[in-house]
Parts: sequence; structure tokens; C-alpha cells
Amino acid sequence: MKEKDLKRAYNNVMAQTISASHQHLFAGNSFGDIFVLKIQELDKGTEEPPGKLKIFPQGNGVDINCLAFHRDFLIVGAVGLIYGLPWNEEEETLAAKRSWEVKIPMQVDAVEVPDVNSMWLNADNDTLFAGCGDGVIYQVSLEDGRIQREYRGHTDYIHSVVGNASGQIFSGAEDGTVRVWSTKKQEQTSLLEPHKNPQLIRPDWGKWIGAVAVSEDWLLCGGGPRPSIYHLRALECTRVFDFPGRVHLCEFVDDSVFIGGEYNHVQSYTLHGELQANIPVEHTACYSVVWQTAPINLMSIAGFSNKLHILKDFRFLDSKIELYGNVQGEDNQAEDEEEELIEEPLIGEAS
Amino acid sequence: METTLNTQFEQLQKIIESIHVAKSKGQATEEGRKAATLMFVALKHANREVKQKIKDGRDKLHMEKSKVDLSRLQLQNLLYEVSHLKKEIVRCQKFKSRDSQLELLSETEYASQLPSMPSAKADLSSHKKHVHRLECELRLRKDLDKQYSSLLSSKQELLQENLSQTQRYTSFSPALRTLLGATKPLHDALQLSLDLEWKLSAVFKYLPKPLYVSFINLQSLQRTRDDLSFTAEVVGYESEAQMQELLNEKRQAALRREGPTKTEEPMDLDTLLTPHALHIKLTIGNSGSNQLILLIRYFEGIKCATVWAQVNSSNSQGETNFIHNLLRHLYANDMGNEIPIPGIQYELGSSGLTTEECLRYLEDKEFGKPFCWLQAMCLIPTANSSMLERNLNKNTREIIARIERRWNSWLRLSQQIRGLTYKDIDLYTLRENIYPVGLSCSLVQWTAITHEEFHAQNSDVLKISSDDRGITYNSYRAVFVRSSAKMECFIRIPSNYPLEMPLWILTVHWNGCHTSQNNSAIKMMEYWTNSLQPKQLGPNERLLYAQLFRTIYSFDIFLETEGSMQSSIEYNKEKPYISAFSKRSRARPYKYIKKGSVYAFKQ
Repeated sequence: MKEKDLKRAYNNVMAQTISASHQHLFAGNSFGDIFVLKIQELDKGTEEPPGKLKIFPQGNGVDINCLAFHRDFLIVGAVGLIYGLPWNEEEETLAAKRSWEVKIPMQVDAVEVPDVNSMWLNADNDTLFAGCGDGVIYQVSLEDGRIQREYRGHTDYIHSVVGNASGQIFSGAEDGTVRVWSTKKQEQTSLLEPHKNPQLIRPDWGKWIGAVAVSEDWLLCGGGPRPSIYHLRALECTRVFDFPGRVHLCEFVDDSVFIGGEYNHVQSYTLHGELQANIPVEHTACYSVVWQTAPINLMSIAGFSNKLHILKDFRFLDSKIELYGNVQGEDNQAEDEEEELIEEPLIGEAS
Repeated sequence: METTLNTQFEQLQKIIESIHVAKSKGQATEEGRKAATLMFVALKHANREVKQKIKDGRDKLHMEKSKVDLSRLQLQNLLYEVSHLKKEIVRCQKFKSRDSQLELLSETEYASQLPSMPSAKADLSSHKKHVHRLECELRLRKDLDKQYSSLLSSKQELLQENLSQTQRYTSFSPALRTLLGATKPLHDALQLSLDLEWKLSAVFKYLPKPLYVSFINLQSLQRTRDDLSFTAEVVGYESEAQMQELLNEKRQAALRREGPTKTEEPMDLDTLLTPHALHIKLTIGNSGSNQLILLIRYFEGIKCATVWAQVNSSNSQGETNFIHNLLRHLYANDMGNEIPIPGIQYELGSSGLTTEECLRYLEDKEFGKPFCWLQAMCLIPTANSSMLERNLNKNTREIIARIERRWNSWLRLSQQIRGLTYKDIDLYTLRENIYPVGLSCSLVQWTAITHEEFHAQNSDVLKISSDDRGITYNSYRAVFVRSSAKMECFIRIPSNYPLEMPLWILTVHWNGCHTSQNNSAIKMMEYWTNSLQPKQLGPNERLLYAQLFRTIYSFDIFLETEGSMQSSIEYNKEKPYISAFSKRSRARPYKYIKKGSVYAFKQ
């Protein structure tokens, strides 16, 4: 297979984010390419298809694990590294040169460079929380790029980090625990182990927690165990959702709950556990969802396929946007001289 | 006047009478005579006056007469002119322009080649249009003429150069002769029979020109290059070639005798597509191994060469498919599906044939296909002239080298496939120096399947429709088992291998059916197998085997990592990997990393 076909067939979009102006959607994949979609293109109201995407390659060895947007730069979480790329809103270009870099320190006993799996941005005080492959959450100040503190406790890598305005941090990890942290305390404030709950455990799929989300009163988490809601103060499991696959994404959207993962549908439930919407997706697994309500209602679901799934009313699939094969300037690239396998002749082996 | 004269005469008469009377009476006549004399004066005066008037009248008459003469002359002139013009008109009407005999470009060609008339085309008369067209064509002809003359002059120059070079060479010949003579003892001593060799291969003199060029070129390559292993020889008999030539001449002469009056009768395929009696046999590959034999024939009727490929070993039908694919995909967009000679379809059309018929006939008779690269090797100008611009020698070398490379790749591939099909390979020894880790699953089946069976697989990969460039596929099914788990692989080998790599689609049956559609771990496995690029291969690795190893090690790792969560573990961890999962996608350690003696599987 040709490389471009390979990329189309095995495109794995792990991360998405929306710019501060709510005008652009960024999607990063494991081949190190960042796609930029102009949101206006989706709201033209005419029959013509949306315009093509822009692509900003980050180099071959860069896995884009997570993305965030702060002020006027895009924050990329890669392997062992978080870096910022200035975004030029007028020209719609992403700078090729990184304006800053934060290296994740290697632990003494580590054998591998840790991935930056998840980032939660506290825009009010310019702080970034990064959940990493070594099981540590790093609190990074975006003013000077210093690592302000580390939250230690998880025994395996972290899947998901979120927080709320009251200084609480929630993290879900491969070790099967959800831990709650406070920026004011050294140790974790509480610990949840959904796999120990017989209502939640699905033994075939393990104990890992793939995604965590919080709203004002509720905590939503899932992974190998069934997705479920906990009350924030009581930390009691109050509702279990019947999502039939492994969970890689959880999200509170208005008054409902979005759950997706390794399943051919993304499902939306009410807080009471009733299925509201069942959205078919082409992804082998869904890994990322972003949404906004202004200037237009928009939700984009990304995962292990070459398409972004766009929902405008958060209930029904509106359109699918191809990534590779739908990029500006892709067609005019001259075909390179084809690479060819060169082997030594067989001597005396045959006949 | 008359009256005055009359009165005067009367008066005179009266006087005379009175005189007469007086005389007769004898009276004095003196008085009368005086009056009479005076009367004569008056008479004389009147007479003079009359004469004057007559003269005047005559002058006037003359003037009028001359006027009349002038106008008459003009009239004559006009009449003459009219008759002349009438004659001219008749002549004009009878005039025949030569342009009606000229052979003009057809309407479409005219429209495409020449600048159209300025706007307001419709207003112009057809005559003006025609004139404009004639002018344009005149310009075109002049241009062509100029080109022709420049080409002619360059031809002259080349001829001149040729001549001078020939002279230079002939100036060498005495020296060469003496050298030959001087080294004769040496030849005898070394038992070299140079003369003999040349005589034997003299048959190539009868080769048609394009094949001759190509053959000489091949021979020179063969003598100078050591890195290419091929031999070229001429097959056929001198006598046959001569016979064919004679027959051709006879036919042509007959045609000439019958003249152009007889319309050309449609030629049948057999006579049109008779190859030249001699052809080139090009054998590529080292002797002792499988050799690729290319038979290059030349067809006078369609002015191009074709190539047919054979393998010198007689085994298996599949290989003939391989070699035809090899030639078809040698250069992009050169599949041999058309005759690349410009204007050939018109010529064929006049004989009542189509190019498709010809190509089918050539294929059926095992004459092969007229590829562009082959024409370039024979210096036959084609529609795609980019290849001709290069140096013939270099070009031929490149083509041969390319064929040889592809041939080697195909040989290896078919050897690998044969090995897998008949299971006469030992996976354990094969992997030995690449993967020191144990292998737990085993290949139980490798069979060829049909294209339909392959496409029954429901996979996204198949929906990626790359532009189809005449690529065909061979499909296979492989089955691996490890205790209760089974993996089915569907492998598709493209006809333009090794430009494109074989594609694998995986299905794992263990606690349900896992495919790239419903399991991201399988999709990652598939990616790891399919992403193998030729440059990543080690020196002793084979592509298909390398893909196979990637696949089965991935299968093992999938089972070992998947099983680790079960309460009763079916598969223990046997492979060296650091962590079973990483990243949010829970990627598994399929990637094999080896540094010196340290090796591990990583994400």
C-alpha cells in the first residue's frame, strides 16, 4: 500500500480542540499531523460541501496525544513533551516553530519516555494539568513553563485528567482507580475503584478507567468497567449506564451525558440513565469529542478513522468530514519517484 | 442681304434700263452712268459683305463639325471599353482558381490549428472566410517549409559530420590492420578466434533496423558491463529473412504495377502482423537460476516492436502471470494497451482494422505487447517521446536493470508464496536471527483464494479507492492457530509489486470475532503489518516473511495482553515487553525494537 493510502486507512485521531475565537477546530493524529477545520465552513447553509482542511505536519516521530488551546497558541501534548505553537488567526496558519516546550521529567526507574495522555487547562490562572504515561499528574504554569508540582499516587499510566474551578482535580488511570486531588493538599483527597463494584465490573475488559468528566455536582467515569455517575460530595455511585463497549470518552453536555469508546455508536443519556440518542460512527474506537454552543452549536467526534463526525444538535449526525484526502494543496503534490524493493538475485536456489 | 442685293440689282437694272432708254432716245447718259457706277460700288460692297458672311458661316460649320467629331470619338471609345469589359467579364467567369485543387486542412483541424477569424464571423461572406483560411494555411505552409528547410540543413550537417567521422575512422583502419596483423601470432597463441565469432553472428545484419539498433546496443552493454547479467541473441535463419525480404519486394512491385487505380484491398491480420523472420532473444538472470526470457519481435505492418516474456523453467502457471505483470508495470502508464506509434490507427483504419483487434491478435499469438519502453529501446519514435530524449545506451541499461530488479523481487516473492503454500519453509529457523523470542502460534494453512472471496472481507482499507491504474491482485488466505484462538489473514498481492506492498486484512477468532472494524487493537495490528516499507527490511529479510512475522508476533502479543485481564489466564506473557498498554488508545506493544543484543516489543 502507498503511504498516503495507509494514512487514510489507519488514521487515528486522538485529540481535538477548538480555538479561543471559536472559529477553528484542531485535530491531531498519531501520524503527527494537525488538521485545521474552519468552523464557518460547516455553517454556510448552502448545498456546497465545506471547504478543504489545512494540515500542519509536526514531524514523523511526533505522536499527538492531546491538544488544548490557550489565548493565541495551540498546546500539543506529545511523547515526553508539551509544546506551544502560535496560531495566526488572520492568516489561519500554525507557526512551524515551537514558541515554548516543557519536558516531562523522566522518573528514576522509568524505562520509557512518558506520554502526555491528557491535559486539563485552567485558563483563569494559566495552569495546565498534564496526566502522563508514568502515572503522575504534572501541574505546569503556562507563564514560565515551570512544573509547579506533581501529583503522585497512580500505579499505572493516566488516561484522563479533568478539574473544576474549586481547585479539585480528577484523574482516571489504567490501574483502575479514579483519584480526586486538591491543589491545596499534598495527598489525594479521595479514591474510587469502580472495578470493585460488582455492578460495574466487566471482567473480560479489565479494570482500567478510560475517561473521566465532571459537572457541578457529578463525576462521570468509565473504561473497562461500565460507565457510571458518582455524586461529587458523597462519592457514591448513583447511576450506571448500559454502554455496550469499552469507554474512551465521557462528557457532560448541558444536561446530558455523552459516552463513546470502542463501539460503533456514541450514546447520549439523560442523568437518569435513559438513552437519548444513539449516534452511529465509523470509528473503530472514539477517543475525542469537542463541542461548543456559540457562535453555532457544534460537536465533533473523532477516533480511529479518517473522518470527523459533526453533530449540530448534539443528537443526530450532521456530516462526516474526511481528513486525509480533503486537505488543501494535497492534489498538487507531485508524485514522488516510487520507492521500490531491491533484492539480491537468487543464485542456485531455484530449479 | 438677298433683298438688299435684289433691290440693288433692281435699282441697277432700272438705271441701266433708264440709260438704255436714254441711249435709245439719245439723251445724255452721263448722269445715268454716274449713278450706275455708284451702284456698282454699293454692289461691290454688298458682294464683299456676302463673301464675309459665307466665310463666317463656313467657319462656324467647321467648328460644329469638329465638336461632333469629338463626341463621336468618345462614343467610339466607350463602346470599345464596353466590349473590352464584357470580354473581361467573360474571362473572369471562365477563370478557374487553383485553390480549388489545393488540399486543405479539414474543418476541425483548421479550427484547432489556426487562429480563427476576428469577431463578427457570421457577417463575412463565405468567400472572404475562404480567403482568410487560404492566407492562414499559406502562412502555415511557409512555416512548415521553413522548418523543413532547417531540418534539411541539419540533416545535411549531420551527414557532413557523419562523413567526416567516417573519414576519421577509415584513417584509422590501416593502423588497425597493421595492429591486427602484428597481433596475429598472439591470437594464435591464445587460440582466440575473433574472425569466427563475427562470422557466426553475421545473421544480425538481416535484422530489421530497430531491432538491429537495439541488438547492437545490447551487445555493447553486454561486453562492457559486468553488473548486469543478461545475454542477447538473434533467433531465426538468414535464409528466411532473405526470403521474406524478397516476398515483400515482390508484393510491393505488384502493388506498384497495379497502380493506385486499384483500391487497397483490406489486409487481413495474418499478413499485416507477420513478424520479421528474425527476432531477439534476451535472457535475463544468471545461468543456473530461473531466467527470464524476453522475445522481441518487430512488425513492419504496424511499425513497432513487441515483447513476450517466458520463464526458462517450466514450473507453475502462476509465474507467467507474474512476468506479464512485471512488464506491464515496468513504467507508470505504460501498460501496452495501445499501439504507441503516432497515426497508426489511421493507417490501420484504411485497411479496415482497429488497434484493439491487432493487440488481441498479438496477445493470442504470443507476440506480446508493444510497450513504450520497448520502442525506446529500439529507437522507434512514439507518442510518449520523453524516453527517447535520453541517451539510448543509458536508457537501455536502465530498462534492463529495472527488469532484472523486478524479476528478482518477483522470484523471491513467488518462492516465498510457494514456500508458504507447500509449507516447505521452516518458520522457526527463518526467524532465528531476527526474532530471538519464541513463537507460540503456528501457520496451518496458506491457500490462494478468489478476488471475490477477498472482497467479502468487510474492511475500511478496501474502501480507500486509490486510483486504479490497471492493477490486478492475487489473493491468499492464511490461518494461524494458538490453542483456542485462530487468526485468519487475507492477503492481497498487487500486480505492480514491488512498487506496492501486499495488503493484509486480519480477523481474530477468540471470544468472539475481532476485526479492524470492531477492535482497535486489531486495527493497530493490521497497520503494523501493512506499514512495513521495503527500506525497513534487513539485509537477509524477505518482505512477505517479514510481514508474516510482524503479523504472527502481533497475534501472540494480542493474545498475551488480552488474556492478562482474564480471571483464568489462557496465555501467559512470553514476549518481552515493558507495558501491555500505553496511551489512551491502550496501544499494545507490537513494535519490535532490537538494539544490539537487547530487544523488546514496544508500542
